[in-house]
Amino acid sequence: MKDLKHIHYFTALLEDANNELVRAAKKDGGIAVGYTCYYIPEALLNVGNAFSVRLRAPKTGSLDISQYYMGSMNCSYVRALLERAFEGGYHFLDAFFSSETCQQMNRLVENIYELKLIDNGTFYHSIIDAPLKISPHGIKHYTNQIRTHFLEPLRDQFGIDISETALRNAVAEHNRMCAIFEEISELRKADNPGITATEFHILNLVSYSCPTGLILPYLEETLVELKKRKLDPKIPYRARVVVVGSEMDDYGFTELIEYCGAYVVADRYCFGSMPGRQQIPINDDEDIVEVVCRFYLETNQCPRFMSQEKVQERRDVVKALYDEYNADGIIYEQMKFCDYWGYERAVASFVLHEEMGIPTVALDREYTVQASGQLRTRVQAFVESLEIKKIQKAKNQNEGEKK
Amino acid sequence: MTVTSNNLKDNAKLFGDIFTEAIKLELANYDHKTILMDLKKKFEPGKLTPLLTGQVSIKAAVNQYLTGNGLQDTIEDKTGIYKHREWRGPVDTLYDYVKWLELWGILGKWLLKHPVTNVSALLRYRWMAAYLTTPSFFDHNVPGFRGTMLRAGRMNLNTIAKLLTANMEDIFSADLNINPENENAKKYICIDAYMPKLITAGFSEHQGILAHLVPHYLPSIINHHLPEHYLDVTESYGVPADVCGLPSMESGVAIEDDFPKIGCCYISTNMPCDGSIMSSSILDRRFQLPTYVLNTPMRHTREDTQEYAIEELKECIKFMEKHTGETYDYNLLREACERWNEQNALRLEKWEMNATDTPPHYGASNWMYRIFTYQDACGSQVAIKNDRKVNKVMRKSLGKLRKYPQQTRHRAVVWNTVANMYSALDEWLLNCWGIEAVFEFIEHQGHRPIDTATVDSMLAGVAKVIQEATMRVHSKGGYNAYTDDLWLLVEQYDCDMIVMFDQISCKGPAAITGLLEEEARRRGIKMVWLKQDLVDARTISRRDMRDQINKYMEAVMNETPLDPTLRDFDDGESW
Repeated sequence: MKDLKHIHYFTALLEDANNELVRAAKKDGGIAVGYTCYYIPEALLNVGNAFSVRLRAPKTGSLDISQYYMGSMNCSYVRALLERAFEGGYHFLDAFFSSETCQQMNRLVENIYELKLIDNGTFYHSIIDAPLKISPHGIKHYTNQIRTHFLEPLRDQFGIDISETALRNAVAEHNRMCAIFEEISELRKADNPGITATEFHILNLVSYSCPTGLILPYLEETLVELKKRKLDPKIPYRARVVVVGSEMDDYGFTELIEYCGAYVVADRYCFGSMPGRQQIPINDDEDIVEVVCRFYLETNQCPRFMSQEKVQERRDVVKALYDEYNADGIIYEQMKFCDYWGYERAVASFVLHEEMGIPTVALDREYTVQASGQLRTRVQAFVESLEIKKIQKAKNQNEGEKK
Repeated sequence: MTVTSNNLKDNAKLFGDIFTEAIKLELANYDHKTILMDLKKKFEPGKLTPLLTGQVSIKAAVNQYLTGNGLQDTIEDKTGIYKHREWRGPVDTLYDYVKWLELWGILGKWLLKHPVTNVSALLRYRWMAAYLTTPSFFDHNVPGFRGTMLRAGRMNLNTIAKLLTANMEDIFSADLNINPENENAKKYICIDAYMPKLITAGFSEHQGILAHLVPHYLPSIINHHLPEHYLDVTESYGVPADVCGLPSMESGVAIEDDFPKIGCCYISTNMPCDGSIMSSSILDRRFQLPTYVLNTPMRHTREDTQEYAIEELKECIKFMEKHTGETYDYNLLREACERWNEQNALRLEKWEMNATDTPPHYGASNWMYRIFTYQDACGSQVAIKNDRKVNKVMRKSLGKLRKYPQQTRHRAVVWNTVANMYSALDEWLLNCWGIEAVFEFIEHQGHRPIDTATVDSMLAGVAKVIQEATMRVHSKGGYNAYTDDLWLLVEQYDCDMIVMFDQISCKGPAAITGLLEEEARRRGIKMVWLKQDLVDARTISRRDMRDQINKYMEAVMNETPLDPTLRDFDDGESW
């Protein structure tokens, strides 16, 4: 297929957290709000002239300094972010919103604040208490936390309009972006999809890393282009996989999977589009903050939701994606030293494989994966096993028909 | 899952070892061969010279015969088995011996009360074997102790034994694994061990049981090799080896089906840490009980989270009422809270006494008791009675010359999660290097009295007790929740040193390593990092831990050990 018009621009945007569009928004008086987790409702952060940037640390190299401050047994995502903060990569941030959901991300923002790594006199940070189950009083608590720790400080510290109208406008803009992704995601269901998995990953990443209002026109144009795109006659993969797991903002991982002959039909990982790029159903009757918070809490797929119904729901969500997107297998990936996904990967891959009969492989990885030969070998082996299963299945079907 | 823990052979061998050790200890002073060998070894002509020339007093010479050159001389290399009971002077030796007999009495009474059930439990559960070593384990937690410290330590330990055996009696009497037709099973409410049992105090016909305490938490402290099997089980299941050993071990116990099958429902919780949250999902799968996840706020130090904490507690009570069929009685809760308040006041008095120049309360016998009573025996009459007695003894000793320790060099706060696989570390620090660990991280749980004036104020207090449970009070709530108490305690207890555990799989504290180090440097406090792997002695052994301290004390502090026999020894094969 022909390259997408903006794909090289998008990859250039991913080269730096403080990318061209972030700089443009800042120049226009925008307030940059950094965050790292789905618990922070992105849709509400893009209110008024505030804009959200889900933090990444592109081109990560040595983690020596962050290792001194955070030890070597914390995940390389947070260490990479801290290292980048030491290098001065996040001076553009006006605020950093976090939640004490995983201890490591919590400690990241604490280190950044305590060590005064953001050279910005008005820098503000806040950490919320987020429930790990869904209940009416839990939703109320979460909503209060978002309101008092994020929205009100945006108003009080930076003069941002957080009125109901302004918030509804922000959610509407967020929904416009999600609608684009819902359409693009549909393409992945086709046998011969009109978008590569890596392209999808790149589009998804820029939507998180750039101001929504500025990236939206590019995404709209890309959708139009995708709809008209001429497909290659030959199906470009040997197996279809759902990827599930922990934080992943390196499209090199998807590239690696594609290189091994698999097509990622669904991205159910932190920083992926599922959840994250689905429209938020709103109504005129309820308070918009509460509606949005309830949506984020209910759709959250973090393994820290420990009640059995949520544990089961996570399996069901993955199984539904596997069925809906006609996948052949599931890759459970976990960033090393992530406690949540360490357990989830082990238990879920066991349940899905042994109890649900779905081919599943469990992988662990570092923050940046492109150079990992070991990972490549394991994905290759999994793809081959899926391929063999498909061949055997077809053979059995043929023999059955002959009989 | 196949049950693999009916390890009759292993347990029988261990039982034999215990029995032999008990006999040895009992007869040690009467074993003529040993005495003759000791005499030959100790009374070499050369050794008599200082005595004859008056360089050494007769008292010191007798003492030297009875205790050797140092504490480690009374213990066998590798196995850690006592060659004979430690000589502490006539009064203290007698006291120690009586308390040791009392312990055997507690254990014997428990064993003989339900012999078939207890033997069945021993054969059914791998971890049960660890409890056979309890007398030896207790001995190892009061080495060198004399006077008040010995009395406080022994009283605490024997009270733990009393409470523990009562706990076991309840568990085994209701365990469906031992008796599948058991009608008692439904009389209990299983609770996550990191949550104080106080929440079930409102029931008169149902009792709370801390699900993890007996099967995995205490065994991991008593026998430092026991967790290895369960850790391997969890890792074979696919859980990474870098997660915290404690939840990993409890997952292993669950995967092996080695948790007693008991209870009408299960109260799970998100405490104390991320690893523990996740192991709960493995436990849930195994318990197959109606489960309520009691979600305690992470930012527990903030007022704006308390309403949620109280709501969660109320919902939890409703859930328990539903599954027990019993109405929660707030008068019963009030009585329990008042007892808790008394217990708490006695604990605060202990802390005050430990802040003096002659701290009377020390080490594992103190912090284990504190954990046990905060989590399990909160509001227990047996515990309160012991607290009163211990405090009385300690009060009397204040301002007087201490019999033990005679010499100390440093006062230290020991911070971060204690190493289960080396419970007697504080004792070693004191006896070998004169580092007096006057305060332990693990005993610093919630300590605010509960306001029992109204149901609401009481629930607010109980919710706080839960949020400030063992480890959790510092592991969550932000960086300051972990560090503020540390710096405060260093000042309050006039410490010149911090022994900082670097529990290698504990991510939260590891992630503020640099901040801690810089702050300690700024305050001019000596801080020694001590790497440990909580329950896995294969990664970092007790000897490795001692080695780290030795190196620091010699290279940085330029000191020599008070008791050179303790500097380096092999206890790798001990329990």
